[in-house]
Amino acid sequence: MNATNPPESGTVILRVENGSKMYAGVHALQDVGFDVRAGEIHALVGENGAGKSTLCKSIAGAIRLSSGRMSVDGQSVNFQRPGDALRAGVCMVYQETSLVPSMTVAQNLELGRERLITRLRPLNIKAQQQLQSLNFHVDPTVLVATLGTAQRQMVEIARAAYHDARIIIFDEPTASLTPEEKVHFFYLLRDLRAKGLGIVFISHALEEALELADRITVLRDGRHVVTQDASTLTREDLVRHMVGRDVQATHYGRRAGSDAKGKREKVLTVENLTMGNIVKNMSFTLYAGEVVGIAGLIGSGRTESAKIVSGALKRNLIGGGSVYLRGRPVRYDVPKQAIDDGIVYITEDRKLNGFFETMTVEENIHLGSLATKKGFRWFVSGRQRRELAGALAARLKVRAVSAGAKIIELSGGNQQKVVVAKSLIQEPAVVFFDEPTRGVDVGAIPEIHQAIRQLADEGKAVVVISSYLPEVLAVSDRILVARQGRIVEEFSAADASEDRIMFAAIH
Amino acid sequence: MTDTTATPDTTGKGGGRRRLVISQEQIVLIVTALLAIGFALTLSGFATIGNLLALTRSVAILGILGIAMSVVVIGRGLDLSLVATMAVSSAFALQLMQHGWGWPGAAAAGMGVAIAIGLINGFIIAFVEVPALFTTLATGFLIFGLGRTFLLDGVITYLPPQAETFAWIGQGQLLGIPAPVIVLAIVALFVQVLLSRMTVGRFVYAHGDNVDAARLTGIAVRPLTMLEYAICAAIGCLAGLVMAASTASINMQIVNSTLIFDVILVVVLGGVSLVGGRGGVLSVLAGTALIGTLLNGMTIMDLDNNIQNIVKGAVLLAAIIVDNRLHPQDEETARQGD
Ligand SMILES: Nc1ncnc2c1ncn2[C@@H]1O[C@H](COP(=O)(O)OP(=O)(O)OP(=O)(O)O)[C@@H](O)[C@H]1O
Ligand SMILES: [Mg+2]
Repeated sequence: MNATNPPESGTVILRVENGSKMYAGVHALQDVGFDVRAGEIHALVGENGAGKSTLCKSIAGAIRLSSGRMSVDGQSVNFQRPGDALRAGVCMVYQETSLVPSMTVAQNLELGRERLITRLRPLNIKAQQQLQSLNFHVDPTVLVATLGTAQRQMVEIARAAYHDARIIIFDEPTASLTPEEKVHFFYLLRDLRAKGLGIVFISHALEEALELADRITVLRDGRHVVTQDASTLTREDLVRHMVGRDVQATHYGRRAGSDAKGKREKVLTVENLTMGNIVKNMSFTLYAGEVVGIAGLIGSGRTESAKIVSGALKRNLIGGGSVYLRGRPVRYDVPKQAIDDGIVYITEDRKLNGFFETMTVEENIHLGSLATKKGFRWFVSGRQRRELAGALAARLKVRAVSAGAKIIELSGGNQQKVVVAKSLIQEPAVVFFDEPTRGVDVGAIPEIHQAIRQLADEGKAVVVISSYLPEVLAVSDRILVARQGRIVEEFSAADASEDRIMFAAIH
Repeated sequence: MTDTTATPDTTGKGGGRRRLVISQEQIVLIVTALLAIGFALTLSGFATIGNLLALTRSVAILGILGIAMSVVVIGRGLDLSLVATMAVSSAFALQLMQHGWGWPGAAAAGMGVAIAIGLINGFIIAFVEVPALFTTLATGFLIFGLGRTFLLDGVITYLPPQAETFAWIGQGQLLGIPAPVIVLAIVALFVQVLLSRMTVGRFVYAHGDNVDAARLTGIAVRPLTMLEYAICAAIGCLAGLVMAASTASINMQIVNSTLIFDVILVVVLGGVSLVGGRGGVLSVLAGTALIGTLLNGMTIMDLDNNIQNIVKGAVLLAAIIVDNRLHPQDEETARQGD
């Protein structure tokens, strides 16, 4: 629609005035004003629960504002459903798994536009052209299920372009990308901007917003705080606007005694772990009271190794290597066995296999406890649930509208905290965090890091798998770098730097 | 993006969806009430004590089967072999009574057969990883065939006349309430407690909600699946015993009837979604009430079987479409969260 006639750069395409959204009597958005211009990148920042996703979803027609006006090209609009927004040229790329995994890339591009009968060949050819014109190297005939996160995102962008979108909204697009993938993604965004599209993107990485965006809008507690040219803002300004007060930059000191490795108890030893051609001879050792960071590119076998150790995946039956828990060889078929032995894995994809969407926050957390040997009770006691789950939710500072809130009513960052809480309630001795702060705001990241370090202080062996190097550097006592399925380098926290880690991860 | 969003509402998706789910039960109950009033005013035979007793009695067995089925459906499964299990296990119990067994022993043996079948179903689904639909479709035939060949003597198994005590659960009554209805109430109460008060029940919901998350959380999903199918089969056997007691016989032809579809109908109608993790005992009871009233009314009107089937088919289709609308299995679901 209108793609033949791109609006002049700088004209306002979409405007929201006095947008409000109520959930159960509570304002998720209150009198928010927001506009998107042609040919700009507009960053949207704010704490978890500030209302960023709510604002974007209402623009994209996924939810309706309780009150307020919205206009496209000066004409007032009232989107009832995503299809309406799409027809007006507004497309939203959601953070996770919004493609249909069981369909091919080409079918996903067509999604929402299918005719009654679709012939596959022309569809594939058209998809191929679309992907090529964007310089994406994705085969249109493969199933989306087989794609990695970055590739899925490319498909999402291709889909937006396919629908002639004039505004593309990205909800935390970079949360699960590696540094190189991010560079590529930013290049793409600039390209889309040059074509006259309006780009909105939500991010918790303020540096990104400052680097990439033309304008930045800050939301706090559902209200609009400022919209300014990015060049006139600093990181400190943003944080102050977001939180409403000055926040000291979060620098962690090295953990005390973190170098006394020799004296520590060896908890878990992994030797030559092998699975297909994803994990090849992965070896590492974990000590009690230590946080080990594992850096590396996506596809370097980090997640898979953690999943093998914790029973979620199986290594090769023959030549699969060995895992020793306090000297005892172990091989788990299912996660339950690992959990009974005190090993937990905290997923990187909360929506896919992290939480139970039909349940409340407390039920989610409490289930973690009930699923352990120690926490199992024949009958569920509501009082016990409130106590146990409430304590954990408070420890991780989960913010919800009410104690009985359903988990899908929480903002993304708070859902993440619930998933972490669900595993910590299992009182593990070895914890694998996979991308623990994905989608968590700047204010809350230190809270999760605090929880991670507290675990180590309590004598647990902790692993943090993260693609965000500052995070790895901040929480780890020791840093391992994985490449092509094995550990290629080890740094003590004192010797590590972003450059050295990146170098090891790539070369 | 597709256009299959739930009815737009001003209060938002999450909240809205939840309210809509509750209202599905309520809608069903309201429709039932309207239908009953309509029948009472127009059909002379409807609002009589005798008919109402017959109605509740006939619906009780459907309700028990519905509750049995809901246990696996909440765990995102399906048991198409339920009616075959019911028929074979209860007929086996009757046959043992004919051979002189006391009713408690015979009923327990029938129950044992049913539980074994359920465990086998669950084992194939959980460990061999065959989809529930195909597994239970196949085992349904197997159970029927094997039962007829090896366990049972004839197509119809009669209740021996000396089993009067046993016949009470089908024909007796307490304070004017037919015994099958009492059995239904007990089963409903038991399953309600199991699903919402017991940890195992919460695991069943977790299983249906998100299998992968359940597994990672440390729930033993595979044994749980076996348990779900075993409970389903055991309750199914109970339904069969009630049926046998009330008609003093069990006819294996019931396996070839449309009963299994009626069961799925009452389960889905009340709001136990086929996507799993949603609904509960009350939903099944609501669905049962509606279908029972409908069937009874149609029987009094003496509509022929074909028209009855058309009506049932239309209602089932409507229920599944509503279910799909409320719990879309496409991208929209994935997009609810963040
Ligand atoms: N369906 C819902 N029902 C009830 N409350 C909701 C619902 N969706 C969002 N909320 C509430 O609205 C507020 C804003 O949520 P929103 O998802 O917009 O936050 P966000 O800025 O995107 O946060 P995050 O950075 O964590 O993703 C939160 O307090 C959240 O709990
Ligand atoms: Mg969000």
